[in-house]
Amino acid sequence: MSDLDRQIEQLKRCEPLKESEVKALCLKAMEILVEESNVQRVDAPVTICGDIHGQFYDMKELFRVGGDCPKTKYLFLGDFVDRGYSSVETFLLLLALKVRYPDRITLIRGNHESRQITQVYGFYDECLRKYGSANVWRYCTDIFDYLSLSALIENKVFSVHGGLSPAILTLDQIRTIDRKQEVPHDGAMCELLWSDPEETVDGWGLSPRGAGYLFGGSVLTSFNHSNNIDYICRAHQLVMEGYKWMFNNQIVTVWSAPNYCYRCGNVAAILELDENLNKQFQVFDAAPQESRGAPAKKPAPDYFL
Amino acid sequence: MEVVVDENELKAAGARRLEDGRFGLRIHGWEIESRKRSILNSSSLLEWEHRLGTSHMPEMVFGNSSLTLKHLSTGTVIHFNAFDALAGWKKEALPPVEVPAAAKWKFRSKPSQQVILDYDYTFTSPYSGSGAVEIQAEPEIERVPKVKDDLHWVDCEEQIDLVALAVKEPILFYDEVILYEDELADNGVSLLTVKVRVMPSCWFLLLRFWLRVDGVLMRLRDTRMHCIFQDNEKSFILRQICWREGRLEALSSKGYPYDAASYNDPSIVGQRLPIVMQRSQKLLLSDNS
Repeated sequence: MSDLDRQIEQLKRCEPLKESEVKALCLKAMEILVEESNVQRVDAPVTICGDIHGQFYDMKELFRVGGDCPKTKYLFLGDFVDRGYSSVETFLLLLALKVRYPDRITLIRGNHESRQITQVYGFYDECLRKYGSANVWRYCTDIFDYLSLSALIENKVFSVHGGLSPAILTLDQIRTIDRKQEVPHDGAMCELLWSDPEETVDGWGLSPRGAGYLFGGSVLTSFNHSNNIDYICRAHQLVMEGYKWMFNNQIVTVWSAPNYCYRCGNVAAILELDENLNKQFQVFDAAPQESRGAPAKKPAPDYFL
Repeated sequence: MEVVVDENELKAAGARRLEDGRFGLRIHGWEIESRKRSILNSSSLLEWEHRLGTSHMPEMVFGNSSLTLKHLSTGTVIHFNAFDALAGWKKEALPPVEVPAAAKWKFRSKPSQQVILDYDYTFTSPYSGSGAVEIQAEPEIERVPKVKDDLHWVDCEEQIDLVALAVKEPILFYDEVILYEDELADNGVSLLTVKVRVMPSCWFLLLRFWLRVDGVLMRLRDTRMHCIFQDNEKSFILRQICWREGRLEALSSKGYPYDAASYNDPSIVGQRLPIVMQRSQKLLLSDNS
């Protein structure tokens, strides 16, 4: 058994790698990812997965439902880390699979694959807690810069973490982005990872936060038409039912973190596309308690004031 | 969050667990029950949007979760639920808070046909609990609808005795119920929760709205209620409402850190935020019948 296979087995048991192993793994992954396009071509059949957010045992449930990699080919739409208990093991397992089977798994970048966001929402703290230093966080966030921004399945299904940008009319415009950087606060790269479809607007909407785009039906129609794609598959927003079509099947949101944050009670979904791009959603629940390593935490009653 | 409570402690306090799968306690004429359920599904969300007259809702609405405290002899019911809280949000309708990136966005070239959304995406609500007095007009006839009357909270000078509450009496019942939560699209957090603890001598609860808009401000709206068990006609509930709010600029000028990661725990941050509103109120339990 090679070191990499051993590491994959170890990660599948939710045991983190040594710091030196993480460093070596990230270097290998970088060599693979740097060659990928900003619009990475993916052949069908493929199974598309949305946000995972460090919910390791639920991701194992995902693989149980969708089949093991490399037997099943996967496309993950980002947001591997933050919020859940096991971002380190979750991301490293996906990355190790990427290094071991580069053509059988595609990882694209979510808005949480960023230095700034991971310092607020958990991944940074988890790395400090598990390794005693920020080195692993640094290796991982350096790798985030190399993740592709989107994928195109059989030239017909465009996949991205967030959505569209007013600066992007064609896929070629995405191809020209210099992606090897921290996610910026505005501009095309930012919006691909951050924006949302919004029922109440037809064209473009500006979020009430004063930053962040929302897009409506006419924007989708013209984007899908000019790029000759059937629909957009994206993640980024929690959907209680696991997936949600909008705007007359021009866009679908896929959400793959069941019982999000271990308390929402939602189901998750993955989208299986066969060789003819026929769609099959697999909906699944959170992993049962007994398959999780540690028992659920029961916080003690608290003498709050 | 089930807590193992010694049966003997329950018995000694004259308390009884609720039956039929309900989670809660009967004690000194009170029935205290918490319900924790999943977030609303898409069709319920749509229905709520319609009823509230909005097309925007928090990402996670625990619409079937609640905390209810019922005083059986007077029919006084104190209730905490997401719907009433969101109705309060809709009514208060604060102007949106701009995130730091907004300054830069103002100078970007605008796409054609851009709409600027302007609802309060922080879901700030003045909610301090729901309640009613439910009087069964004809107690023996079940089908007669209950007559409902509003609760009459009266401003008062008395304060909740936090020193007495700091005494570590055994906790017979404890729970925390999230009513709604939103991640502000990864720009912070908006969270409305209610915590309750029931001891042999009293119950105490804290309803807390906590908002952090990263790099901009923090807002804490606390409602505390305290009821000491006494079997006479002087029984009452004290309610203290305290709103705090501070902008990060102001905090950092006082030497506090600027980064969002330092502001995860509202109970610690709260001390540093200036009070913008507070009031104490009293609800007599015997006068209502």
